[in-house]
Amino acid sequence: MIDADLLKGLPPAEAESVLALGKRTLLTTGAELFHLGDAADSIYLIARGRLRLTLPMQVRSREEDIMVEERSSGQTVGWSALIPPYRFTLTAVAPLETEVIALSRDALNTYLAAHPGTGYAVSLNLASVIGQRLQLFQAMWLREVQRMVELRCA
Amino acid sequence: MEMLLMGAVLAMFGLAVSCLAFGAATREEPAPKQEAVKPVAVTARFFVDPPAVPVAAALNRVPIEALLLQIENHVRLEQAAAECFLESPNPTLLHSRTISSLVN
Repeated sequence: MIDADLLKGLPPAEAESVLALGKRTLLTTGAELFHLGDAADSIYLIARGRLRLTLPMQVRSREEDIMVEERSSGQTVGWSALIPPYRFTLTAVAPLETEVIALSRDALNTYLAAHPGTGYAVSLNLASVIGQRLQLFQAMWLREVQRMVELRCA
Repeated sequence: MEMLLMGAVLAMFGLAVSCLAFGAATREEPAPKQEAVKPVAVTARFFVDPPAVPVAAALNRVPIEALLLQIENHVRLEQAAAECFLESPNPTLLHSRTISSLVN
């Protein structure tokens, strides 16, 4: 069983039940799991391997996918599937052979509604994943603003 | 009498010359005017002073593949810096300097 951040604190049997809702998918090196703007129907737990999350950026008049985050085994990607408007806000690519467990929104919602204790724990874990990312990017954004201010005032 | 007068005149003349010489020796020299400090135009010294190349201009010379790697490295360094800040939030860690070649 994988040590998934989304299932932290759940009894092993309960975590197994949630994982059993998912579908394992193997991504070859360079394969794209989802693309920016696509409909987001599933959230993904990385069983093994790694995913690069990218955003497009103009570099010398050319659009390039720039890595903004990297996720590895046990981490969750694609939480846009649980939050309206259910569209991916990043592109996810496997830089090496990677296995993910896809949990569909419908299956997860049905299960968690029937098991409120598990639903509460998963919601807290999801809030933690999103909150950590928010804090991380707040700090990164402020560092860039600071540099911009220093350049302007130099 | 004439000789006496001649001696007196010569003595007076010598005294006058001595006074003039003494006055000249003890006169305070006026302080020389200090020249205003003029900004010196520094001429560029080839091979000695490297020309100041703006970061943007320097980046334009980098091949795009290398530039993309620099950007990725910058993102990794910034994430690491942000993670350090989140582990122990304080202004010093928030504004720690980066070694990223993209901005230095």
